[in-house]
Formats: sequence, structure tokens, C-alpha cells
Amino acid sequence: MPSSLLFGINNEGRVHTLSTTGTMWREIPYAGQEFKKLSAVPYFLWALGGDHQIYVYVHGLDIPIRVREEAYENERWLPIEGFSSRLLPTDRYRFSNVDGTVDRSIDKIRLPSMAWQWEGDWQLELTLDGQPLDHQGWTYAVDFPAQYYSKKQWKSCVRRRLWVRSRRYSAMNSWCAIAPLHKDATSEPFIDISIGGQSVAGAEPGTMLVWAVTSHNRVMFRTGVSTKSPEGARWNPIPTPIGSEINQISVGPTGLVWAALLDGRALVRVGVTRDSLSGESWVEVRGPGDNLKIGQLSVGTCAVWAVTQNKQVWFRKGVKGEGAGLSEELAAGCGWVEMVGRMAQISVAANDQVWAVGADDRLVYYRSGVGASDLTGKRWKALHAPLQVSRASSNASLNRDKFHRSFNALQSRPSSMCEPSTIAEWEEQSHSAPTAPTSLPVGDLASKFETQPKNPKAWSPVHSVGSIVGTEVHPEVDESVWSDGSRESCIFAEDEELGWAEYEAPWSWVEAGACTVDPAQLPNWFAEVGGGNNHTEMGEPWRLRILDDLKLRLPTKDLYKEWQMAVDTTSWVHTGEARVSWGSGQFVDCVLQLEWVQITGTLTVLNPDGASTMNLFSLNDITCVQCCSEPGSPRLGIHVPRHSPSLLKFQFSSDAQLEEWQAHFATTCGRLQHVLGKPSEGSVWAVTTLGDAFIWDPTQLESNQLRENDYYVQKFDLSGKESPIKVALHGSFKPGTCLTLTGCIGDDADRIGINLDAHSTYRLRHKAHSEHENTCLHFNPRFVESHIVRNSMIEGKWGKEEKEGDLPLKRGQEFVLRIETTEDAFLIYIDDKLFTNYRHRLPPSSVSMLSIWGRLQPFKLVIKSPEIILDPLNLYWRQVGGHLRRVESCRVGVTWAIGYDHTAWVYTGGWGGGFLGALDSHNVHPMTDSQDYRVYENQRWNPVTGYTSAGLPTDRYMWSDATGKQKRTRDQVKLLSVKWQWVSDWMIDFHVPGGVDRDGWQYAVDFPGTYHAHKNFTDYVRRRRWYRRCAVATTGPWQELGHTKLIDVSLEPVKDDLDSIISVWALASGGQAMVRTGVTRSNPAGLGWEHVSSDQPLGSISCGPYNLVWATGKKGCAYWRIGITENKLEGERWVCVEPPNGGQLKQISVNVIGVWAVDHMGRIHVRKEVTTTFPEGTHWQTITPDPLVLNAAPNTTGFKHVSVGRNEVWAATNGGAILRRAGICPSNPAGSGWFVGIPGNWQQVSVRAFN
Amino acid sequence: MANDREILREVWEGKLPISFQLDPDEVVELQQPDQFYLMVPRLSYFPLVTDKVRKHFLRYVANDKQDREMWLEYDGQPIKWHYPIGVLFDLLITSDDQLPWNITVHFDKFPENQIYRFNNKETVESYFMACLKEADVLKHRGQIASNMQKKDHNQLWLGLQNDKFEQFWAVNRKLMEVSSEQEHFKYIPFRCYIDDGYRQKLIKPVAEDGRRKTLQDLINEMFPGRNVNIKTHGMIPPLETPLQWMSEHLSYPDNFLHLCVQM
Repeated sequence: MPSSLLFGINNEGRVHTLSTTGTMWREIPYAGQEFKKLSAVPYFLWALGGDHQIYVYVHGLDIPIRVREEAYENERWLPIEGFSSRLLPTDRYRFSNVDGTVDRSIDKIRLPSMAWQWEGDWQLELTLDGQPLDHQGWTYAVDFPAQYYSKKQWKSCVRRRLWVRSRRYSAMNSWCAIAPLHKDATSEPFIDISIGGQSVAGAEPGTMLVWAVTSHNRVMFRTGVSTKSPEGARWNPIPTPIGSEINQISVGPTGLVWAALLDGRALVRVGVTRDSLSGESWVEVRGPGDNLKIGQLSVGTCAVWAVTQNKQVWFRKGVKGEGAGLSEELAAGCGWVEMVGRMAQISVAANDQVWAVGADDRLVYYRSGVGASDLTGKRWKALHAPLQVSRASSNASLNRDKFHRSFNALQSRPSSMCEPSTIAEWEEQSHSAPTAPTSLPVGDLASKFETQPKNPKAWSPVHSVGSIVGTEVHPEVDESVWSDGSRESCIFAEDEELGWAEYEAPWSWVEAGACTVDPAQLPNWFAEVGGGNNHTEMGEPWRLRILDDLKLRLPTKDLYKEWQMAVDTTSWVHTGEARVSWGSGQFVDCVLQLEWVQITGTLTVLNPDGASTMNLFSLNDITCVQCCSEPGSPRLGIHVPRHSPSLLKFQFSSDAQLEEWQAHFATTCGRLQHVLGKPSEGSVWAVTTLGDAFIWDPTQLESNQLRENDYYVQKFDLSGKESPIKVALHGSFKPGTCLTLTGCIGDDADRIGINLDAHSTYRLRHKAHSEHENTCLHFNPRFVESHIVRNSMIEGKWGKEEKEGDLPLKRGQEFVLRIETTEDAFLIYIDDKLFTNYRHRLPPSSVSMLSIWGRLQPFKLVIKSPEIILDPLNLYWRQVGGHLRRVESCRVGVTWAIGYDHTAWVYTGGWGGGFLGALDSHNVHPMTDSQDYRVYENQRWNPVTGYTSAGLPTDRYMWSDATGKQKRTRDQVKLLSVKWQWVSDWMIDFHVPGGVDRDGWQYAVDFPGTYHAHKNFTDYVRRRRWYRRCAVATTGPWQELGHTKLIDVSLEPVKDDLDSIISVWALASGGQAMVRTGVTRSNPAGLGWEHVSSDQPLGSISCGPYNLVWATGKKGCAYWRIGITENKLEGERWVCVEPPNGGQLKQISVNVIGVWAVDHMGRIHVRKEVTTTFPEGTHWQTITPDPLVLNAAPNTTGFKHVSVGRNEVWAATNGGAILRRAGICPSNPAGSGWFVGIPGNWQQVSVRAFN
Repeated sequence: MANDREILREVWEGKLPISFQLDPDEVVELQQPDQFYLMVPRLSYFPLVTDKVRKHFLRYVANDKQDREMWLEYDGQPIKWHYPIGVLFDLLITSDDQLPWNITVHFDKFPENQIYRFNNKETVESYFMACLKEADVLKHRGQIASNMQKKDHNQLWLGLQNDKFEQFWAVNRKLMEVSSEQEHFKYIPFRCYIDDGYRQKLIKPVAEDGRRKTLQDLINEMFPGRNVNIKTHGMIPPLETPLQWMSEHLSYPDNFLHLCVQM
């Protein structure tokens, strides 16, 4: 669970934060303003100041809030003038929005408030759907509105181009004042503020709701508050029933609003839905008792808690936030329940956990035991987190006024009118304003108001940069709050001890709206009473003594080394029932027996009688054990690529059994393959479609192969095999490679052939592939003609024969044939004598097969290669815990991963987790991930009843998947395993590409078609999407990186040494690029994000070597970054590279050996003519999936992912096979052909660490 | 929670060298059998580890006695099989000089008055599970052990029997957890061995004022005013060791602390 923040105000009115990963309250740097009340959602904090004005504090965001303003400039062609800005009277505005309905003159587009700054000037958008436009950026059409094209045609009567300019919220990490209701801020100050509504069902993502109460007991609703507009637009008064004087208000995460009245009753706002965010009407709720007046209340998702004026705590039962918008009953609940404890103030978090401030002791309390089944919890638990105080921040005399006044354009003058003189004046005034607090902030209002200037002037935040209020509150990095700014201004800066103090203070307010605490894993905020706090115990003297004594127990241990053990733990048998499927067949009952004897193991599949054997193989043959469950059927796939069938699937009766077997296989196979403990830094990572992560560690293969002065050696025993023989060669055949074949020629031999074949070339013609063979070297002794023919076949055509020389081979005799590869030729030795050399006609690195035919008996084949010989089919894949969508690694082993919920994870260097349990693991942490299930509801229109679920007989299922081919009903959807659970109900998805109407429907002429939001006359069908979210809880060697959600990441060390800084590029979930600072091998999580702006949202990014960064835009074009140096890893600017013809790039991977990308049609494109001086290359070369690739796994239509390492290119197909590119060399950077690995449902692979 | 793996592992790995010899009076063969040497886990019980011993000596005893229960004797006293081996050793052997531990094996004259009979390993299992449940009653009012499935019980037992630390602790950790409402056990399950028997008492891991109780507190409550030493797992734990921690980390597989009292 990501860390989150609890907020509190102490008795001095200072705001403090307590991180769920921390143990101390830390003060938000004091800026001369005390606060009385707080309300928070993650990243956004609204507060009521001591001056009874409203302030907003945006914090902890790694990506700046940027809004792209767009204005389309429209022109019409006139017969004489050509294109002109004079439009017809019926036409749209000259500058308009995308559909022409709103005037968007660029000189009228202003910053919404002082908290915003422009980033650069208006610029033209020069691409259309990823394709570059001509220099003017115009797009042409027949008329408005119509399809726009990049080229002008004879019928183009109108054209338009897009002007864009970005603005940025610059008041981040500082208190930004919200403009008062009236010019005179004191005429109607505020008395309460509340923010919530971050999860209103179906609302636009980023929506937030802010409610406030004024001193005239008016209720105000702030319009337009969202993550893109943190201050919102304006206050709207919401009428309240006559005679109800509202004193306090609270809005929950689902938008449910409760308000406390002065007379002790409460009002509940009903009808808050995505269409009506401020609700429809008020419903009255009586207080808990006759003389019990509600003083303060707080709304969670399914809970409302209140504190009465006599400090009693009450829980409102029957409230259900999710349905509250539609049902009055669910909004208002059905009765008050008294709780124990006397509290002054209460706060309910979004997950219904409850915090309170004690009425008498002023401690912060947490309600323990609150869960979905028991919303009232068990007992109050006091927080014991000391306050960390920096003298600098609490020293009022050092204060400079650092407030931003943000005024809406509606209510104040534009920023340009702000003169420097008024700033000086205001600063002058404010110097005396915040005096050292001597009274509780709950003191009298009048005196507070006096100190505040009557008519504060606005100024642009530009002028106060450097004196911004507070620095980032970052829960990950404890020191960051203090590190720079506060130190400078601290008198005691030299002596850090003096600058810090710890004490526990009386609290006046606690705010949990942004805090997510899992009741099962409470943060370290509570005093330890019993045992448990492991960290402190590790160093205790008694513990060390016990450990020492235990170790010394048998001092004469060595005497008994040879003694027999009473319990033999080295051999065992595990037996169980399962169902087995061979290949793709039916599942049949069987008995599984896994036998482990000392150092080897056997898996036996027995018939259900338990006596006769169905199959039996050594555990050595297993290369991968993968979960391949389907909902309701726990299944395990065992890959045995050297057997037929190469994949067995076992189905177990329960998830627990599956995990038990999975753990047995993992430990036994791991022991056999010597992959225990930490994987090496050069490991290859891969992720399956079920989110399981696997590692192949090259160490073992390397140590098996590396022999004979730095050469990798592979030996094949061919004796007993009959020609023709084909031997796959997975070595790269780089210069220096040496192949030695020994054998005996038959007595009756006529012609024999020894070929070095390359992968065939496939041509796609009329949807059928034609195969054209390639042979690098055809070595063909002909005994009748008494010479040896050498030749090459290139794409099915033989070249010119070379037949010089005699025939040193004789019938019936043994021979030794050695072929050495050099830069320009094969040197052919027969019986250790150089016979000839054969100049390369095809790149030798494309050799992938040795084929032998004719009358000869080969004995032995030995390959010596300067590079590791890698058969992707034979790699042992080892699983580590975690549920992930992507894993990216780099040369020095720093590895990051991204979950399905876009959470970023950093590999801890541990292993195990997940099914292996906590005891067979190292350095694992709990993890969660979530996914959405989606079903489509389809309807067809008929003249009588309108749209109904009665379709035509030829139609798709009325409840289906996106393609309409599979039937999916909502109640039929099952979770994958017991580890998953539903976290939401079925809901209509209002955020479907193409747009939806009020009820979530999309319309189309027919199935399948293009769907749009508005019903047209010709639309006969409609559909809508339902989704339901589920979450998984597991463990793995991963540590959560922070809050920022990622869609892609790429890592690359800057230098070759192990301790080099690592350049990390990532894309946030909105497609914004970022670089992570401070990432090294010793600090794999790095320090913080730096945002790198781009014109377009990006979809994929890759970096390698560090100064070469490529990305793909969401619209399918490619970008590369120029200006990257060691000192400026973020570079200077993006340069657009046109995508390949007819392809939209989806994913890109770059490294020293090239730039590779996958497009939306499943093809791979390789950038050609990439040189160091011209790193952007000139054009794309397309690799389409050949039949070998298409047959590698069922349901393959193309490539899904490509990963480029320093020497290798690996890819995953959409059928789930893993591929390794063959024949990559400088003369042929795109390589030739693929070596196919196991079809393991792979969806992504990272070979970037492999060297 | 018992998460100090280093300690747990060390406790689990504790082994004792034992030299078994058949009572010379029972030997019917001409040749005296060799002694049988074995490394025995401290945490186990004799009936679980003496199959090999029995096999070794069986052919030297009279045919009619071969089906009888084997029993062990040290220093003239029959060994109580239902105590963990480590406890027996700590009680009976006071010095390392006495290693290996010489135990005499008998097939005849089962001392029914002194030790329980056992027919098979299931007897040991049911005794072990009874102890485990008793301990859980003390710690968690029995809620955890009774909510466990048969499978979990089996895993505990097989883990102990096959000397599989991970298998055992995968389940046992649940028993060593403290409930969410409490930071400590209700009572500490322990047995103080003294004078040929043991004593038990209800002792809480924390004092009235919330202070963590230590081994010293336990001694004070058990033997007020007396100066005693406590030995367990072949070592003498420091008196300031917290009881809760001891219970989590130094309990035998039956979840009891077995403390040998030395006056």
C-alpha cells in the first residue's frame, strides 16, 4: 500500500503531517499563517486559515499540473483571395474549439488565476494523427465540420490549424489563497471547509468536490475543482431550508454531504451524482438525542461519525456512500449509535477508518478494528508519534510572508495589472502580521482579523518564487522537507542536534481524508506494549547473548560430523491427485508423484488407479512452471520443450493445492538448475499475461559453456543418428566461431552435403507466405565428379558454384571437417589441412542451422563461439512473486516493474514471495494490484419498442466482450483465484473511447462499427461498457516506489562501472515523460522525479545508451530526445520522427544495436542507417511475423513487445511466445529470422540487463 | 510476532549426539551389538527418531520380545518419551563432558508405573497436538488452533517429524501471532521443570502498568524469594529477556516454553 499522509493541527495552529511510513509528525513549513480546520484528499489539502479565509495546498505531485489550451484557426477558400480568414456568416468563429462551437480567440485566453503561469508562447501543432504536417500546420476539408486531411485537394474549401499553449499551476507545495467572496474579505469570512468527492461513481477522473460554510451560515459549493484545476472556478451558494443555520459541513469520497446545524440537527444532501455534483436537495436528520447537539461530523464512504457538543461520539448506521446519490435512505442512514470515548473532533478516511482528537487529553486517536463487516470498530488507540520540530520552521521571527493570493479572473484584475510597488507595500505590511502565536487558534476571531491586511492586493506568484511557502511534503524522503530551505534560514544550522526537538503536543484537529491505512497493517504510530517491535529487539544485549549461547551449544560439534542423522531430510515423495491435459487435449484424472532423491527428481504422472504410469520425466527437463489458471480452474503449466507434447497442464482441485505443487516444483527445479538465492544482475526478466514475473539467469549456462580460453563450447553427439540431420545452431557465428564435425563417409557415397543454413525469407503474397531458403555455405563433396562444390543459396536461388581443388575426402573413411568464420570468409579445413576459403555471400551471423545429408555417419559436432550459445527453448525460467504488467532491467541489475494499476515497484534484490510463502523467501514485501473486468451490453433498435436487448439472430451476444464474439454476462464473471477479490460492484463505464451519452451508451450503425456518443438517425445499435474492479494481494521482492503511477519505464547506466548513475526515464499515467534522479545500484529507488515536458502524451519510452532516448506518442509517431549529456540527462527537446507508413507505433526499445518498435498491427519496425552522428536514422525497415513466428504459439497474429539489449533483441508475440532475433550484425542490424522459445503466455520481456 | 528467523532457525537446528546401547541382559546373541550413534534433533520426541535404533538392536533380542515397546533408560531411570528430547537432556545432563549422551535401550520389563505406554506415533501425535491446543488456549483462548484445518495440523506434525523448519513454521507462525486487538498473548504457556515434575501457572506477558514482563518476573512469581537459574535449549537465557519474546521464539514445537529450573 502506498504511503499516505495524516494531517493534524496542533494547539498553535501549525499544520503537521504524519506519513504512514514514518513515525513522526512533521510540520509543514510555517509561513505566517495559522490554521483552524483542514480537509484533505490525496495531494490536495484545503484549509480554513486563522483569518477565516480558505487556502489550498497542493503537494506530493511528481508531475506539474499542466493544461494545454487549444484554439483552432479556421479559414475558408475564396475564389480570388484563396484561403482567407474571412469566413461565411454561417461559419464557425475564426478561432474556435475543436467542434467550432466556442470562440477561442487566443488573445482572450487568459490564465485562470495568479497561481498559473504560461509555459512558452502559442505554437502551432504540426502533426495530425502522428503524421507530420507541412510547415504551416494546416489541415484541409471540404467543409466544416468534416474529415480533415493533411493534403490540400481540389475540393478543399476550408482549412484549419491548431494553436496550442500550455499553462502550469505554479503554486505547488505552497498555500494558495482562494479569493474571498467579497472585495472586503472580512465582510463574509468562512467558518468551515470540506473537500471530498474523489470517487463519485462515473464522474470524470480527477473530479473533486469542495463545500464551505460562511459566517452568515451560507453554504457554498466550489465549481470546477479537479486535479487539473485545484482551485476550481467560483463559489456557488447552495440554498438551505429556511431556519437552518449551518455550522459545519463534510463531504465524503462519494460526494455524500452532511451538514451540522447550530440547533443540533443535521442536513443530508441527496441526489449527488455525476450529472449533478452539488446534489439536488436537503433532507433533515435529527440529532442523536433530545439535548444532544451535533457539533461536528465527518463523512466516509459507508460511515458517518459525529461528535456532539458534550463530546460524545456517535456513529450513523445504514449509510452507504455508493448508493447515496440515488437513494435518500442510503444517504441519511437509519439511526445513531453511541460510541465510547470523549472526543473533540473526528475524521473519517475514504476507507472508513476513523481518527479523532480526544476531548480531554487532546491526543490523536485511531479507532482500531474498523472493517467492512464492523464499521464501528473495537476501541480507541492513541497515536504516539512524536513531533519533529525544526527551530527554523517554528521560529516566527524568521518568517517571510509567502502567500499566494489567487484571484479568479471573474473577481479581480488580471495579472498584468499587478505593479511591483504594491508588492513591496504588501510585504511591508505582512512583516508585522504573523506574530508569534500566544493563544490557541481557537481564540477570538476579531484580533486575528486585525492583523490581516484589510485589502490584500494580488500579485503573481512569479514574484514570490524563492519564498514559496513550504517545500514538498514527500513521505518517501523524510529529510526532503527540511534539507535545503529551512537549513539556510536556521540560525543553528551547524548543529543539527539543536535544530531538532521532539515533543508531544496537544492537538486541535486531525484530518484523515488523504490517509489510507490498512487495519491489518497498521503504521508504526502506536506505542509497543508487548513484544513485536523487531527492529529494536535485534540489537538487544539479551537477544545477542541468547543467539551466541545457542550457537555455542555443542562445542564439540565436529566430533559428530559423521554421525547419522535421526531424520533424513534429503529424500521425499509428494503425491496428489490432479487432472492432466497433454498438449491441448481434455483434462483427465491422474495421480501426480514428485519424487526427490538426494539430488535428483522425477515427476511421474500415474493413472487414477495409482499403479500404471501415463508419463514420467526427469525434473531436469522442466524449463518453466507457470500458473495458467482460468477462473474456477487452478492450473499449472509445465514446459518440457524436449518432449512431445512440450506443455503439460495440470488442474488442481483448489488454489491452495496449486500453490503447494508450484512451490514444490520451484524448489526442486530450482535446486537442479542451481538457481537459488539472488539472481545475477545480467538476468532476463519476463512477465506473463497473468501478471507473474519470471527470471532467466544466464550464470549457470555461462559456467556450463565457458571452457577453453574464453570460448563458449557446445558439443553434440550425433553418433547413431541417421542422415539427413538438422542441428539448430544458436551461436551467433561471429568471426572466431569454429565448427568441427567428425564423421565417416559411407562406402557407397555419391554426393554428400553439409550446409550452413540461415533462416528462410518469407514473402507474403495474397495472404499466403512463400518460403525462400537461404544457405550461407553449401559444402557438397561429389565423389563421382571428384570435387567439392561450394555455393550459397540466397532467397531460393543458387549462386555461382566454386569447385576448385581436389577431393581430400574418401569413401569409407573418417574425416574431420572444421569451418572457421573470419570477417570475410569461411576457412574450411579438412583433416586439419586448410582446404579452401569461401567468401561470405550472406552475413555469417545469420547461420542458424547445420544440415547434413547424403551417405555419411556423423559422430560429433563441436561449436566454439566467442559469444554465449543461447537456445531460447532451453532456458530455465524461475518465478518470483508479485503481480506485474511490465518489468524493466538494466546492465547493473537495477530493476523496476509496473503493476496493472500502474504502481511502480523497485526490485529489492530478494527472491520468493507469492506462492513460495514467507519462509522460502528473502526481502519480500506485501503487494497489491487491481484490474478491471469489462463486459459490454449490446442493444438493437426496432421500430416498435426502440432499443431492446432482443437482437437479430445474426447479432452478437447481448452481453459480450469487446469483440462481441464471446458471451459474457456480469454474474458469470469469476475471479481468477482466491487471492483476488472484488473491490467494487458492476458499474457503467462512462469513460469509453469514442464517448458515451448520459446513460453510458455508445451508438453505431451496426455491429461492429465505430461507436459515438450521440445517437444519429441511422444508428441501429448501441452498446455500453460495464466494469468491475478486483484486487489481488500477494508478496514479492518488490518495494513500492511512490504515488506516481507509471505506464512505462526504461533504465540505462550512464557509465560502464557498477556504481554509475542510472538514467531512468518513465512515463506517468497521463503520458508525461519524467526522469528519476539519483538512481544507482545502491539506491535503486532514486530520489525524485523531474518532469520533462512534451507536446504530446507519450505511450512508450526507451533509453539506451543513456544519451539516446526514444519515445512513441499516443498518436503513433516516434520522438527522440536531443541534447542529452552526462550532466543534463533530461536533454533539451523532442524531435518528431515520422512513423512507418501505415503504422502507428505502440512500443519502442532502443539500445546500442538499434531502434526497434512495435506498431498497432503487430509488426516490428527497425530504424535503418542509425549512426553515431545521425542517431535518428533515415527510414524504418518492417519485419512482419513469418510463419515460424505465427506457429510458435496458438492465436498468434503479430508481435506484442520488443526488447533491445546490448547485443540481443528479444520479442514476445501476442500469442505469448518468446522470440530471440537471429543474425544481428553491423552489416545487417535488423537480423534475419527468429529463434523461438517456449509459448509461456509471455506478454513482455526485458533483455536489457543481459550482456 | 515470531519473526526473528535467525533465532528460530538456530533453535530448530539444535541437535544432540546420542549413543544408544542395548541392555546387555537382554542380548540373546553371542556377540554384543555395537553401540548406535545418532544425531537427534532437540525439538523432537524419542519415539519419532528411534526407528533406526530399534531396527539396529532388534535382531539381538529374544524373538518373543521383539514386538514389545522399546523404552529408554538413562542413569537407572526410564526416560519420559513425552518430553521433548532437549528438555530431557537439559534435565538429566549437566555438563558437556557427558557427551555423547549414553542411553540404554530396553525391550523388556516396560516400567508401566513410571512412564506412559505408547503404541505408535499417533499416540505421540495426539499428545503433541493436545499440548499445542493447551498452549493456544493460554495464548489466544484457543481460537487459532481450533480455527485451523486438519491439513494445517498435519503440516505441523509432519514438519516436526521430518525436521522441516519451513513446513512447520509456515503454520506455526499463525499460532505465534498476536491478535489484532492485543499486542501480546493472553498468558504465557510455559512449564517449569522441578523435582521430577513440572509446574505451571497463569502468567501474563505484561504487568498491570503495561510494562513488558521479563524472565525475572516469571521467576519472582513462580519461586518468590528464591534464587534460581532457568535453563532451556541448552543455554541460560538472560533474566531481562521479555517473556512475550521468549514465548514466541524459544518455545518448543508444542508451543510451550520448557524451563528447567536449577536451584
